[in-house]
Amino acid sequence: MNQDHSNDIIELASNLRWKVGENYHDRLTEGIYTDAAAITRDVEVRDGKAHFTFDRKLDQILTSKTFGFPIMVLILSIILWITIQGANYPSGMLATLLLENIYPFLKGVASSIGMPWWLDGFLIDGVYLALGWVIAVMLPPMAIFFPMFTLLEDFGYLPRVAFNMDNMFRKTGAHGKQALTMSMGWGCNAAGVVATRIIDSPRERLIAIITNNFSLCNGRWPTQILIATIFIGALVPPAFSGLMSTVSVIGIAMLGIAFMFLTSWLLSKTMLKGEVSTFALELPPYRPPRFWQTIYTSLIDRTLIVLWRAMVFAAPAGAVIWLSSNITVGDMTIANWMIEWMDEFGVFIGLNGVILLAYIVAIPANEIVLPTILMLTVANLNLIGVGAGDGVMFELDSEMETEAILRQGGWTLLTGINLMLFSLLHNPCSTTIYTIYKETKSWKWTAVASILPVIMGFVVCFLVAQIYRIVVG
Amino acid sequence: MSKVVSDACETCPLYNSAELKKLGVNVDNADFVVALAGNPNTGKSTVFNALTGLRQHTGNWPGKTVTRAEGGYNYHGKHVKLIDLPGTYSLLSTSTDEEVARNFILFGRPDVTVIAVDASRLERNLNLALQVLEITDKAVLCLNLMDEAKRHHVAIDARALSRRLGIPVVPASARNGEGIPELLETIHKVATGEIKCTPHRIKISSKQINQAIEDLNKKLLAKYPGLPNTRWIAMRLLDGDQHILDAIKNDEFQLAS
Amino acid sequence: MRNFTTISQIITSETDQAFWSLVIFLLVVLLAYFMMRLKVWRVIMTGQLRSHRAQIEDILKQLYHVEAGGKSVGIIDLSGALRISDKKMLNLIEEMVNMDLIQTRDEKIVLTEMGRDYALRIIRVHRLWEKYLSEKTGISKLEWHDRAEQKEHQLTREQTESLYEELGRPRFDPHGDPIPTAQGQVIEVKSVPLTGLRKGAVARIKHIEDEPEVVYKQIIAKKLHIGSQLKVIESDDRHVKFYSEGEEYTLPSIVACNISVLELSEEEIFEDSKVRLSSLDEGEKARILGISSECRGAARRRLMDLGFIKGTEIETEFNGPNKNPKAYKLRNTLIALRNDQADLILIEKEAI
Ligand SMILES: Nc1nc2c(ncn2[C@@H]2O[C@H](COP(=O)(O)OP(=O)(O)OP(=O)(O)O)[C@@H](O)[C@H]2O)c(=O)[nH]1
Ligand SMILES: [Mg+2]
Repeated sequence: MNQDHSNDIIELASNLRWKVGENYHDRLTEGIYTDAAAITRDVEVRDGKAHFTFDRKLDQILTSKTFGFPIMVLILSIILWITIQGANYPSGMLATLLLENIYPFLKGVASSIGMPWWLDGFLIDGVYLALGWVIAVMLPPMAIFFPMFTLLEDFGYLPRVAFNMDNMFRKTGAHGKQALTMSMGWGCNAAGVVATRIIDSPRERLIAIITNNFSLCNGRWPTQILIATIFIGALVPPAFSGLMSTVSVIGIAMLGIAFMFLTSWLLSKTMLKGEVSTFALELPPYRPPRFWQTIYTSLIDRTLIVLWRAMVFAAPAGAVIWLSSNITVGDMTIANWMIEWMDEFGVFIGLNGVILLAYIVAIPANEIVLPTILMLTVANLNLIGVGAGDGVMFELDSEMETEAILRQGGWTLLTGINLMLFSLLHNPCSTTIYTIYKETKSWKWTAVASILPVIMGFVVCFLVAQIYRIVVG
Repeated sequence: MSKVVSDACETCPLYNSAELKKLGVNVDNADFVVALAGNPNTGKSTVFNALTGLRQHTGNWPGKTVTRAEGGYNYHGKHVKLIDLPGTYSLLSTSTDEEVARNFILFGRPDVTVIAVDASRLERNLNLALQVLEITDKAVLCLNLMDEAKRHHVAIDARALSRRLGIPVVPASARNGEGIPELLETIHKVATGEIKCTPHRIKISSKQINQAIEDLNKKLLAKYPGLPNTRWIAMRLLDGDQHILDAIKNDEFQLAS
Repeated sequence: MRNFTTISQIITSETDQAFWSLVIFLLVVLLAYFMMRLKVWRVIMTGQLRSHRAQIEDILKQLYHVEAGGKSVGIIDLSGALRISDKKMLNLIEEMVNMDLIQTRDEKIVLTEMGRDYALRIIRVHRLWEKYLSEKTGISKLEWHDRAEQKEHQLTREQTESLYEELGRPRFDPHGDPIPTAQGQVIEVKSVPLTGLRKGAVARIKHIEDEPEVVYKQIIAKKLHIGSQLKVIESDDRHVKFYSEGEEYTLPSIVACNISVLELSEEEIFEDSKVRLSSLDEGEKARILGISSECRGAARRRLMDLGFIKGTEIETEFNGPNKNPKAYKLRNTLIALRNDQADLILIEKEAI
């Protein structure tokens, strides 16, 4: 009986639907808006003063043909410059505290209670040092970068960026709101992938998902900053090195945007053919942010994220690295075997086996790339006098020291540049891959999104390496 | 067929806990379930944060929240579960983001739905509010961003608005905590039935359409007596909403006992 | 350092090695590129190798269109039009006669009752699928026809009917052609080619023919829409000049005859002041008259949800760096739209 009822209803609905015709939805929406307008007329008082005049003036400037783009670049530059300059000092302090004071203390405690060497190594040299290192290097820049970014977000600037850039997105067959999801990707690619839900049409949304990885994330900014400071900042007199490293980090971020456009264009010409269906973006009014409150909440938020990720990802990775550097098979450790195996290809494309291995270890989280590289380099070279032994993350409180180790590991300017490039162009981290699968529900697109950037990374590093070798000799 | 009319038990939760489980919301030991709906960027997440003390992300652009967030608070000894929904412009189109919000209000049947609106853009916000009022008759309008409205010289007569809509209206400025105590109190009163709502119904000028909605509504009411939103379901059926059609086929609108 | 030198044993200097690697890389890329091109060709080729059933259905369709135009054809015309070899065609015709789909009558081929029904069913699927593509996907107009050509041979009767229900039992396809009913009835559309109108006539666009593609592309590029009102300014053997939605158009006659129009009587003509939102300059104000019927499905709903409703006041607030998208103010909110969408919103400018 129940089922009959349902069928009755559905049948009647079908018939009536045919009767009311195709304009039904239009009439309904018009009806609702008419009601809304009538109610509003009765309860709202707008006095005659010109509203939003300041907003309009600001919009005229921020979206003008002449100033729109320079202002965008300028704002990003200022934020990065403050980050790079400002992070130095707290980073050093944290490193001193965590690695120079607490680390020996823990070691002391361990030996005083007679902990076996392998447990002590596993816990303190593996887990604790990885944790400490990630916190010292990652936390300060991110705790400076993101509060500033959040201020912009709260002010209402991001939709203007999407508005300005939409023309380019349209030309590459993508959606202007991709600018917003990209910005979210700067915090975390997984969050950026989820944010693509604001894009209505499935085709453009897929493009946004696949290209989100070209936004440097939380775990990659600090890598860029550190390598830029060591290898590129050092090319110029010390007075300008801060500026130089800022410029090169901005360059990488811009290159990421360029690759995002290129990939969007390629995808919409090949696998994801089609036209952009709709683009409608509401530009919210500017709202002055509550400065200190925003800074405070964003700071706490970032700190918690970095600490949490350090605990969940860096600590186990530290353990894995320590183990692989201490378990020997035949005459070499597991780590050595793998490095040896990948080194030829690595060097060929201007990287090396250590870097490639580090990127495999760092699939769960990009944060641990640099600590892994340093530690494996030390272990692989058996550098005497640096570090505390195989698979131990050493104290890194000065960039000079890091540089010394890397140079001993055979690093050149080319390795530095290519590491920066590869850090931009490689597979997304495992969380992001999982998120992509959840959002697309398709193994095919998850695979494309994961593998495409690595291939691009290899190709770009290869090209740069060969050209560098031809030019520099 | 067993049906229990919901006001037979004043204190029983109205929300549909089986459906809520299916939607992935855990309502164990919650006395009331409250949903936060509204246009994008009207401060829903800010209201959510003010009510729960959590730190859901906010940002001045439409679409900051795209997934449902959950939190809770205690008020007058009742534990309230609060759900922050993604902002939507309407519940009539069937895009994915709207579906999250729409399904929650329709199938989850929260005890109270708080509709957050931007006081300086009332007209466009009412478009959604009126649609929500077709789905549920237990709602509170949170007239948020009052400070911004004042800054731009827009004044709203909240009492007149409340009369026109048939639901309580609470002016607020969530970021500064203004109006939050009143909002808590109003939610409580609506949830416990102390305030009864008589929501506004959408008027459509076309006779033919009205007739069609009425015909369908009658049939639906015969099948689902006591369901507050048969008229809305009728409207959706006339629009060929596949999801609602399936729900009818699978008998998902039966009131839970 | 370690010995990672297999390649460098052959080529001694590192610079040489780098150079040759680059050369090899370029060769590989070129090769891959040409392989891609070849694959594209294969796709086109397989597109021509239609299945046996598809060929029969195409013949039926062709015959239906010919008969609807009041003409008749022989085998040679058919094989030419459908690019099927004469020999193959002979076999097919024989088979179809046996199936009682067609009859031959003095060198000419005509449809039987059953053949006509079959043809209408294929056309029904074709037009429904175009309707589906226009309503539910963002696929370009230019691709609708080709995709429907494939799909018409694939959908089963049940799939077709559930598609019909899902789309709300549409009567017309997005080009303005009537969709045959399941019982094989076709609504008669009274329209004439645009070239048939005299100077000064006012008409509404009813149908835009999507074949041949080159002509269709030209019409689409001009942004002419079904449902738009137009007024002929000049018409001779070679050209038609007319106004529509505030723009002036001049089309060669061979293009114009692919547009079918319905002439409007005196009382049906209204809103001559209709122009497109995209023509509204910075600072100008207007009132929305409606959204063109060319804007459908989700895109249309989205615009309406945002408040683009008949009667709404609208103003171009600022143009942005490229004048595309532009920001419009309506109901106290700024909404940015791309120009191709603004083209589909019709407005009446406010007298200043
Ligand atoms: N001045 C002022 N700003 C507010 C108030 N409430 C919220 N905001 C700001 O408005 C912006 C939007 O707030 P959200 O809470 O993110 O809005 P939402 O409704 O959750 O938005 P979506 O998640 O995009 O749907 C943020 O920048 C808030 O800081 C208020 O009462 N006064
Ligand atoms: Mg929110």
